[in-house]
Amino acid sequence: MTYETLVVERRGPVGWLIFDRPDAGNAMDAAMFRELETAWRELDRDSSVRVIVNTGNGPAFQTGVDVVQVSRDRDALREQSRRTRDAALRLTAWHNQVWKPVIAAVNGVCAGGGLHFVTDADVVIASSDATFVDPHVSLGQVSAYETIGLVRKSPMEPVVRMALVGAHERVDARRARQLGILSQIVDPPTRLRDEAQALAENIARNSPAAMRITKQALWGALELGLSDAYRVGGRALVSMWGHADQEEGPRAFAEKREPVWQPLVPDGELKSRR
Amino acid sequence: MTYSEFQCLKVERRGPVGWLINDRPDQLNAMSAHMRDEFAVAWTELDRDPDVRVIVHTGEGRAFQTGVDVAEIAGDGVGMERYRRSVEEFDLHFTAWHQQVWKPVITAVNGVCAGGGFHWIADADIVIAASDAQFFDPHVSIGQVVALEAIGLIRKMPVEAVMRMAFVGRHERLSAERAYELGMISQIVDPPERLREEAQALAEKVARNSPAAMRATKRALWGALELGLTDACRKGAGELVSMWGHPDQEEGPRAFAEKREPAWQDLTEP
Repeated sequence: MTYETLVVERRGPVGWLIFDRPDAGNAMDAAMFRELETAWRELDRDSSVRVIVNTGNGPAFQTGVDVVQVSRDRDALREQSRRTRDAALRLTAWHNQVWKPVIAAVNGVCAGGGLHFVTDADVVIASSDATFVDPHVSLGQVSAYETIGLVRKSPMEPVVRMALVGAHERVDARRARQLGILSQIVDPPTRLRDEAQALAENIARNSPAAMRITKQALWGALELGLSDAYRVGGRALVSMWGHADQEEGPRAFAEKREPVWQPLVPDGELKSRR
Repeated sequence: MTYSEFQCLKVERRGPVGWLINDRPDQLNAMSAHMRDEFAVAWTELDRDPDVRVIVHTGEGRAFQTGVDVAEIAGDGVGMERYRRSVEEFDLHFTAWHQQVWKPVITAVNGVCAGGGFHWIADADIVIAASDAQFFDPHVSIGQVVALEAIGLIRKMPVEAVMRMAFVGRHERLSAERAYELGMISQIVDPPERLREEAQALAEKVARNSPAAMRATKRALWGALELGLTDACRKGAGELVSMWGHPDQEEGPRAFAEKREPAWQDLTEP
């Protein structure tokens, strides 16, 4: 599959999804909206990909909807408007139900709709010069999806401040790390992709099947009250018992070697039950 | 009150503070089936002891807790299956929250906390740690799912940090300093040898407050994690009003005006 607005590639066990409209701040035009869904599905189905890294080419990570295209051609994003209204977006890994671990590697400014990709990632790292801003209200737009996700995942006051101050203030990478929005700052910024690859390779050393159920359990827990979330989580935990990886993990540990995990099968069904 | 004889735990009282100490240091305090059963009894006994107003939970040796005893699981052919029903039905009894202990619980992390050890961080009211404490979750590195402990943690602290620990597994550790920044713990004790003294001092401060008011507060705050915001406020209002007319509500202001320690009512069931 070739893409016009994205670069999709593999490096070892790591799939890379790279926004590639650097001259437009990697803003999402109609083509990118279409291609994102295809790209997430391609990487999710590829059994050689165990972890996915999402980053951008050029000085920006992602700056949301391409307002230039919207101002020129109001119909270009009609389909996305419908999906936005119906909460049926397909931009992010979470929207597309990708249950492999996803790392967002924020390489520069992340603005407005770009925050979708931070909110919906499992792990977030950033270059030391990355910044975060939500200009929606400065353009007469409502900030909802991205910030709704963020208030579930990090302290609320800074998220609401970002939503209400709009274009007139930025959160820097250091503050985002303090707040737990991200876990690692890479300095110098040029090392971001190396560090993202190294982190992804460490994650790729873990059981793909266990990570898939873990991811489903943790994101699913955000839908429920605490006791209900625990009940659902308990069933998720037990669903892995009897899987071949549960014998391989301790055996490899005892034998001081890397485990040989079962590959994920594309349709999402667990393989190799005894 | 005298406590039961425990093999895997130490249970004792120092002033108003009940101590529950994991005592399998040679196994890094990993939880055997027997220890699991003892937890249920220990929490209940500490909760029932009217002289105990606050509970501190810590461990002997260089680890706080390292989850299920993998050696036991691997050794007897039964494996995790022994726990299937209790986990599937979420019928667990090894933390204070599981046992509906409404006295304040302080977890004092004395070293390594790994995997299932996070249960007692997720389910404590207050968490402090020695400066050399380390946190990691190796489940996915040995083919196990991370679910219960992390589900509790993501209600209480930034989610990304919990997910990173879940997916990186044993290939990375979180320091006490970072846990403090993230709000997973509220105090770092340095040097580490002073952990128990500091935990006792903190517990004694907490013990100066109204037991009945703290019980209703704890119920309101944990209950809020079950609900949306408006419903949580409605349910919390019920806890708030439940204290009105309680003698502590007169004693508190009176003692304050008279510049003396309040004489609180002992907790009555329930």
